[in-house]
Amino acid sequence: MTGFRRLDTGGRIDRGKTITFTYDGSRAFGFAGDTLASALLASGRVLVARSFKYHRPRGFLSAGPEEPNGLFTVGDEPNTPGTLCEIHEGLAAKSQNAWPSPDFDLMAINGLASPIFGAGFYYKTFMGPFRKSWMFYEPFIRKAAGLGIASASADKTRHDVSHGFCDVLVVGSGPAGLAAALTAGRAGLRVVLAELDFELGGSLLSAGSEALEHWRKEAISELEALKNVRLLTRAAVQGLYDGNQVVVQRRPEPGQSAATLEIIRARTIIHAGGATERPLVFQNNDRPGVMLASAVRSYLHRHALVPKSQAVVVTNNDSAYATAFDLAEAGVAVTIAELRAAPSGDLLARAAQLGIAIFPNTGVADVVGDKQLRQVKLGGRHSVTIDCDVLAMSGGWSPNVHLTSHGGIKPKFDESLAAFLPGGFAAGQFGAGALMGTFGLLASVREGEAAGQAALAFLGSKKQVRPVDAPGIREDRAYAISPVWGTAGPKTKAFVDFQNDVTAKDVATAHQEGYLSVEHLKRYTTLGMGTDQGKTSNINALAMMADLRGLSVNETGTTTFRPPYLPLTVGAIAGRSVGHHFRPTRRSPLHDWHAAHGVTFIEAGLWMRAWYYDWAGRTPEEAYVREMELVRKGVGLADVSTLGKIDVQGPDAAEFLNRLYVNGFAKLPVGKARYGVMLNDDGVVLDDGTTSRISDTQFYMTTTTAQAGEVMSWLEYLLQCHWPELKVHVASLTDEWGGMALSGPKSREALQLAFPEADVSHDGLPYMGVKDITFGGTTVRLMRLSFSGELAYEIHCPADFVIALWEHVLKVADPLGIKPYGLEALASLRIEKGHVAGLELDHRNTLDDLGLGKMAAREKPYIGKELRFREKLQAPDRWSLVGLELMEPGKKLRGGSILFAAADEIKGHGRGYITSVTWSTELNKFIALGLYQGGLKHEGEEIVAAFPLKNEQVKLKIVSPHFIDREGARLHA
Amino acid sequence: MLEARSALTTARPLAGEGLAINEAGDFLLTQLAWFDKSDEKTLKDLLGALPARVGQTAAAEAGTLLRTGPQQLWLLQEGRTAALPLLPSSTLVTPLSSSRSRIAVAGPKARDVLARCAAIDFHASAFKPGSFAMTGIHHTPALIHCIGEDSFHVFAMRTFGLAVWEWLTDAATGL
Amino acid sequence: MRLPCPYCGDRDVSEFRYGGDASRQRPAHGAGSAKEWHDYYFVFDNPKGAHTEHWQHVLGCRQWFTLNRDTARNEILGGEE
Repeated sequence: MTGFRRLDTGGRIDRGKTITFTYDGSRAFGFAGDTLASALLASGRVLVARSFKYHRPRGFLSAGPEEPNGLFTVGDEPNTPGTLCEIHEGLAAKSQNAWPSPDFDLMAINGLASPIFGAGFYYKTFMGPFRKSWMFYEPFIRKAAGLGIASASADKTRHDVSHGFCDVLVVGSGPAGLAAALTAGRAGLRVVLAELDFELGGSLLSAGSEALEHWRKEAISELEALKNVRLLTRAAVQGLYDGNQVVVQRRPEPGQSAATLEIIRARTIIHAGGATERPLVFQNNDRPGVMLASAVRSYLHRHALVPKSQAVVVTNNDSAYATAFDLAEAGVAVTIAELRAAPSGDLLARAAQLGIAIFPNTGVADVVGDKQLRQVKLGGRHSVTIDCDVLAMSGGWSPNVHLTSHGGIKPKFDESLAAFLPGGFAAGQFGAGALMGTFGLLASVREGEAAGQAALAFLGSKKQVRPVDAPGIREDRAYAISPVWGTAGPKTKAFVDFQNDVTAKDVATAHQEGYLSVEHLKRYTTLGMGTDQGKTSNINALAMMADLRGLSVNETGTTTFRPPYLPLTVGAIAGRSVGHHFRPTRRSPLHDWHAAHGVTFIEAGLWMRAWYYDWAGRTPEEAYVREMELVRKGVGLADVSTLGKIDVQGPDAAEFLNRLYVNGFAKLPVGKARYGVMLNDDGVVLDDGTTSRISDTQFYMTTTTAQAGEVMSWLEYLLQCHWPELKVHVASLTDEWGGMALSGPKSREALQLAFPEADVSHDGLPYMGVKDITFGGTTVRLMRLSFSGELAYEIHCPADFVIALWEHVLKVADPLGIKPYGLEALASLRIEKGHVAGLELDHRNTLDDLGLGKMAAREKPYIGKELRFREKLQAPDRWSLVGLELMEPGKKLRGGSILFAAADEIKGHGRGYITSVTWSTELNKFIALGLYQGGLKHEGEEIVAAFPLKNEQVKLKIVSPHFIDREGARLHA
Repeated sequence: MLEARSALTTARPLAGEGLAINEAGDFLLTQLAWFDKSDEKTLKDLLGALPARVGQTAAAEAGTLLRTGPQQLWLLQEGRTAALPLLPSSTLVTPLSSSRSRIAVAGPKARDVLARCAAIDFHASAFKPGSFAMTGIHHTPALIHCIGEDSFHVFAMRTFGLAVWEWLTDAATGL
Repeated sequence: MRLPCPYCGDRDVSEFRYGGDASRQRPAHGAGSAKEWHDYYFVFDNPKGAHTEHWQHVLGCRQWFTLNRDTARNEILGGEE
């Protein structure tokens, strides 16, 4: 077998801790400190996956988050890069997109059809022979290409969202990041250092130098000892947002299942996120065993893995020589294909010392070895075929400018470095190290320190800070690169984007077909659209397109960088807001009583409301009818605590309400309540409610449940922004007070039994009267109001006592047959009475539409008066409120049905719709409220209600919306 | 006498390592509001020094004063039987004792739990005893009062009391 | 994004409720023609750049305040009460 072998010593792994895991069902082993990638490489596996479209055999390209090939389903989670996955006892990893296995994948047959699957193939093939042919082919194509499969089981990871604050956030813990953190930490500022990897150190971890390891350890020890510094590993900074806010995804420790998304507000940010190496583009550059040069070095120094005997390094820049030299020192035979004419003298000298052959002006023409690399064919000035285990390629380095570009500051291409650099920084943000194109270690440390100082200055810190020592860090050598993106030769299988199987030929095809802009190139070829988001492909592709178009790279531009930097699950964003925590549940103060007494709850917005009770029936249809009957004939008790309640106080309280409501409130006597409707500035109904005058300067306003928050903000807006001269304070009492409706012909008797000391006779508490009494040690507010149309009262008291009061009323009125009734019956009773409620007050209807036009005062101004009379709102054919009776017994009447005149074709929007429906116990038929064109002008006519979703049509008659007791005799009893 | 009931009767207290979450239900809360600077001065003359800025508290003979707005205060009194102090006629009084559920969160892990519940800097250097923050917990209005180095009172809206309780205790489970 | 509440300090944007354009004068109550009210309610600019607007600290102190914000860069330009 070719590939890698594990050295007996060295690396950052712990050979004393063996870890057992499974890969595609078979047992596999590694050591603590191994990733899934390094453990698989150590076990001799080079082929670990099949590519997306062509199912080509693939191995690991990299050693980091940029990995495009080695993606696995780990546990339940698909598309996990093996390079980021720390192995732990019991881990179960599965390969993806290959059947039955990557080694022997039947889907590879796709490879034979590859000429059809070139760029844009979706648009060119599978388009015929019929119009909808694509829909026929699509499922097959979908099955043949893919990544992992999303699990259907519940997420086993516990996700949380947390909020963090700091003075200095440092992104990345390489030499620049550590220096920056030391500087800020020594000044006593609150520092957070976020490192994506599971160990701190960045490029220092792959340096293989004792001196650098010593420096790294000292820096970390000092940082760990500082109480003002938080060190986060396994922490990816996913996005940068307005106001120096970042989202940091903290991955669980191996074997653990708790993950946190931390939203950090940083006063300053130091970007030290490093750079990612680029591949070179040549024929068959995707074969297993072809890897990034820095990755080969990383596997050597972190995981003690070396190519079994031979390695070839192909490069257009100086950095790959470090890999070549380190491999040679580890006993590997190394050959270098140098794309440039000649590297610097010091590199040549060292290569000679180590016995490394260098072929200048030479690149790789082809790679041989279908399932694993066997030979490399060099081409260019020299044509040589070399047997080898590993081909390490370097096309240069791309600074990770994603974060700095999230705010919309476009990166700029630097010709001498052949790299995009951050285009600028927002206030309070700074950059250092490889991110800035500074590839020398010592210079990175100095830059990190300078960035730290800049942050201190920005924050106004005057602290003198000890400089960062860098003993053992040699002077940097200069970095040189020649912008050669690929090598000459066939390009049909020269891959640019490994994950999405996009070749150099595809880029040329896109250009040929006119898809010239980078945005078009991306979408037409799908380049950069995989889970790796083009980390190893974007820059190469841009450079190739620039070449083809004869433009500079800067002129060609980049696509937009957007969060997240790495794939982020929806679960991570949701945090704990799942299941019953999706929204906060709002409970009435009577909730516990209902729960203990046979209620069925229903969700109404955030509220849980009592819908109906067991005593009345097992189903809602059964129960609400019995509850209605009880209220019409006896007495019932309903929870109305969810109503919005607002305290309006001050010398100008009456004037304020008078401006707000369409009807008069200035002269409302103390001890009286009045039904009021308020409009929005645009003349449309905003809300209704009953407001009581408690004193000359105090009112108790109620609103609908649904609009309570809106109305409260509206009142505060008017008082604070527009009428500050009015001396009025408003305070929400929705939570402070609970309330119950005591309704039915026997309600007065019940009320007297409950409050024997109070005069609640017909004259003692007249219709719309309000009376505060003290009962049982608390204030109780009695109001004679009716929503149901029966003789009725509302009893309000502070929420702490409402259960006790409710129980008291039920107990003393038990001989009258009192029972609780729920929301369904509450709603149905008011429909019979013809009261409009939320379903009619939908912000499209005016006072006149709802038959309430006469309520509005003629003389006094009120909000919305001016626009109420605009043409559109006064049009004669507007849809206005009508009552409806079902003329076909046995049939169903549905809310939302569309209304048509008898002679109309049943098509389109009709002439109106049904807003509320109920069974009427009084009329013994289904009735409804609705809006109909021309309204009550059509009283007596028969019309049709259509419910197209169920293909139903029923006949209705238009009647007055007040189905019962039109004179209000029951109310005034 | 009518019996008082809490919104948290079904809530299970949490007692763990470094953290305790309990109801601290016995309190009276009254909102005091006014219009002019002269009204404020009259109130100060009767109650004693008022907290100057929103987020600050002051100890008064009558109880703890919390500055909740430019022209309003909360008067917080322990127990359920305290009487209101003498107040000027220009002060608008709104009883709010039933409107909130008060939840005590205490222990070395308290600040971490709160950091998982509200977007406020709860670091010891930023959120000190005697200060409070009006913010959102799980989309509901809440007032978080720091009463000791590791000790906090969360005033949740009563109707959201159990939801906020569960949100807090759930956050604690992760620590 | 953080907004500067004049009473509570910088807070997360999720604590606030947007209240629209604050640069125009609301007609006095009971005054103003239908056209003036129409223009006030329906006709206003949507500038790319500096914008004066109302916000309410709805999960905090519930105070309304005015803010100057650059709508293109989403940058707070300084507020007033």
